[in-house]
Amino acid sequence: MADSAILLSVAIGVPWLAAILAATGRRHVRVIGATASLAAAFASALLLGSAPHGDSLATALMVLFSGLALGAMLVIPHRDCTPPTIAGMLFILGSTLLAYAAQNLLVLLAAWILTTIPFFPVPWFAAHTWRPRVALLLSSIALALATGLIAMHGHAMTIDRLRGRSPGGMAVFSLLVVAVILRKGIYPAHAWVADAAGGGPTIPTALLLNGHFGAWLVAKLVVPLFPHAARDLFPVLSYLALATALYVAIRALTENSPRRLLAFLALSQSACILAGLESRTVEGITGAVVHWFVVTVSTMGLFGILRLLEVRFGENLTAKRHFGLAENAPRLAVFFLVFGLALVGLPGTLSFCSQDLLIHGTLASHPLTGLLLPMATAMNAITVFRLFARLFLGKRRTGFTVMADALPRERWILAAGVMFVVLGGLFPNTIVAPQSAEAEASLEALNAPLTLGDMDPNRVARWKGHSTLAVPWCKFSPPSEHVSVYRACVRRPMTDDSRRNVRAANCERFRLRHEYG
Amino acid sequence: MKVAEATLVFVVSAPGVVFAIFGLLWLSGWVPSERVMSRVTGVTFSASTLGLAAIAWSLISKGGASVEVAFGNWFAVHDYHFPLVLMADRLSLPFLLMTVVLSGLIGQFSATYLHRERGFLRFFLLLHLFAFGSLLAFAAASFDLLVGGWELVGITSVLLIAFFQQRQAPVENALRVFGIYRACDIGLLVAVFAMHHWAGSASFAGGFPKLTGAQPAIVGVLLLVAAAGKAAQVPFSGWLPRAMEGPTPSSAIFYGAISIHAGAYLLLRAEPVLAQSGLASALVIAIGAITAVYGTIAGRASADAKTSLAYASLTQVGVVFVEIGLGWIFIAVAHILGHATVRTLQFLRAPSMLHDYHTMHSAVGGELSPTGKHLEEIFPKRVQLWLYRWALDRGHLDTILDRFVIYPLVLLSGLFTRFDGLGLGQTGKRRDAAISVTSPARQGGA
Repeated sequence: MADSAILLSVAIGVPWLAAILAATGRRHVRVIGATASLAAAFASALLLGSAPHGDSLATALMVLFSGLALGAMLVIPHRDCTPPTIAGMLFILGSTLLAYAAQNLLVLLAAWILTTIPFFPVPWFAAHTWRPRVALLLSSIALALATGLIAMHGHAMTIDRLRGRSPGGMAVFSLLVVAVILRKGIYPAHAWVADAAGGGPTIPTALLLNGHFGAWLVAKLVVPLFPHAARDLFPVLSYLALATALYVAIRALTENSPRRLLAFLALSQSACILAGLESRTVEGITGAVVHWFVVTVSTMGLFGILRLLEVRFGENLTAKRHFGLAENAPRLAVFFLVFGLALVGLPGTLSFCSQDLLIHGTLASHPLTGLLLPMATAMNAITVFRLFARLFLGKRRTGFTVMADALPRERWILAAGVMFVVLGGLFPNTIVAPQSAEAEASLEALNAPLTLGDMDPNRVARWKGHSTLAVPWCKFSPPSEHVSVYRACVRRPMTDDSRRNVRAANCERFRLRHEYG
Repeated sequence: MKVAEATLVFVVSAPGVVFAIFGLLWLSGWVPSERVMSRVTGVTFSASTLGLAAIAWSLISKGGASVEVAFGNWFAVHDYHFPLVLMADRLSLPFLLMTVVLSGLIGQFSATYLHRERGFLRFFLLLHLFAFGSLLAFAAASFDLLVGGWELVGITSVLLIAFFQQRQAPVENALRVFGIYRACDIGLLVAVFAMHHWAGSASFAGGFPKLTGAQPAIVGVLLLVAAAGKAAQVPFSGWLPRAMEGPTPSSAIFYGAISIHAGAYLLLRAEPVLAQSGLASALVIAIGAITAVYGTIAGRASADAKTSLAYASLTQVGVVFVEIGLGWIFIAVAHILGHATVRTLQFLRAPSMLHDYHTMHSAVGGELSPTGKHLEEIFPKRVQLWLYRWALDRGHLDTILDRFVIYPLVLLSGLFTRFDGLGLGQTGKRRDAAISVTSPARQGGA
């Protein structure tokens, strides 16, 4: 336990200390950033090694994100490798790891807000338009309000103690969903993602997006705390996620700015993660988590390569015409193609497995709307190939001086990313099996029978003639027919059957009053 | 693992291993010489041919039905399993043999044909990846694994169409082909899901998944969409002439031999489903017959040799589809093998065909008497003219696709752009940004 605390402190504290050092020292910032990221990755890996079976998602994400930050530190072009940038990236790393490790709502809220801070000041990572700032601000406010409501109701703030208790009822649930929609960029709050990528610094923005805080909030809070509300209302979020995936895929067909295009691709594919997480099938949830890993690595690779191209060939790259850059940078072209196709399910890469599972999961839970997922993926594949073709193929533009292909430093780090997606694709069970165990546990919680502890406390209290605080939480489990009666009364329109059920419920309420009152 | 099983694993994996090794070496900075590449290719496919011949001999001599190699599950989640089983049975063995023999021949031909070409290494790497994908698709014992090989064939096909990357037309045509492939592959993905959902498995190693009621018709139609896309059947035939932008050896092996017949192989594998569903069989026959007629008419208005050959291929594959729909499996397989061999030869001879014609003209002392105009002469003049215009525009298939699929999508995308621009003072007027597939460059042959 003590070891875990130390490792956790190292993983989170070292990047923050390094951020201060990078901001004040102003020398060897790449070395500082890479060393701190490596230390965080190492500590996270040790934590993952000691994580209990079936409860390793948070630590796996910590390893992934610190590895991603390490890659970003190494691949970031010399031009961008300034003290504020490296300090900001380290700050995001520490805050993101804190969010992944958080067991307390207040800590999670703090980490959520901290990750957004570098994206508000204009000289730092802020985009040119107002939408990213507003979306991040509103999502933080929504999460803060949800946390506040839970605190007002006098519940504990530890996530484990709140598990399955639906704290704050529908109001808190709704606020959490709003926070997810805003942070994740779910339709209609999707436009800020492209704005952030198009108008902000490429690699730090990619780090922000690849934190996937919206999906993390769903996995960490929404499903565990509100298993039954999630069960009934999640399809709505799923439809929104699938609609986002398709909407953004269609939108990307005519986008010409490479940065915005990559942001749309990332958004469309990461919306699939959300659709899978709420598919209520083990295949869908496992596919979503594995896809999370793939999307994170692939989009980071794509954004990194794009930035490398921008510093070599200028920032006016567009998908409107051909640039023929493969002639100058064939290895960057190959890396780009592999990362791009890995994002959309190329066989032999990890995304082939994740897409397979995702499609099975979403089609099983929503046979009609689930069809949107393969459609969106097909369009994204076309977009990936279009961008690749326009940037790298065709007649070489005149005016470009001969530029270096991937430098050894860039080549090795990009090769490591490619190896992850390819080796993961060749031996997927090493990644899929642990996530499958977690998905089964998660689904078990979601499908657990409804208890009175999960219901609206005021209604339960009225049933039993007690005040809200007097309800013995989670100790009372009525027979399942009472639950169905409750559902019939509260959530569904009145039909003949439900009227009969209401009569039965009245009789039962009378009996309960006598037994517990 | 028995010798036959080990041989099958070697045959399927060898091209993939060659691709991986040489690809990694290239990434690390080493570029193999042409001689090394062509010799490795020759050795790989020669050994594979011998290995498959040995498997075929052992099956014939011992009267076995198939050789199967099971590696367990590639990955498993809850009730869903992805079985990794390779199988060489009497259906897949001819296709496997055809793949390794023709890939080896194409490799040897290309060593000379592409000598000192800038993309020499790239071509050979993609040839190996394509062979690996094809062998994986043909040796797969489940539709799950078949999808993997199928997709690899698609992506290598597209990358080889864009082989002459310094020209814009091949690149744009590759994008078009890629779009159609991906759209049609949705049918295969959903069919595999449907089989898992209804029958609990998509494996055909121990018999085809059991489907009842309307299920065979649904699965059959979904598979037909995928097969029609890969085999360029109507209404997806528009991509085939565009694919002729690639180098001739790749056109020969993809569109004369293996890739174009992959759709037929899929339907042959799904024959139990087609036998169960009259609707699916009828659709297969109808699409095959329409494509055969379309191919022969459009081919007559083609101006270049490779496109004419591509349409001739299309006609034959249409006939193969009809045979499959009628349940004539043996005839269909024999037809495919014969057609693939002859067509590959014709494609490889295409660059020197003009020279051959000149030689023949010199030999006979004038023009050769024209042939192949019997069909046209039975129609009235007006119909002939209409057919000519129709054939010249390749049955208006590209126009229909543009007008009813691509333009609406582009319009929708434009609307979304406007919506996204709300609040920023952007009106989203980006008409010029429409994806290039809306203004496709016509194929021109390479």
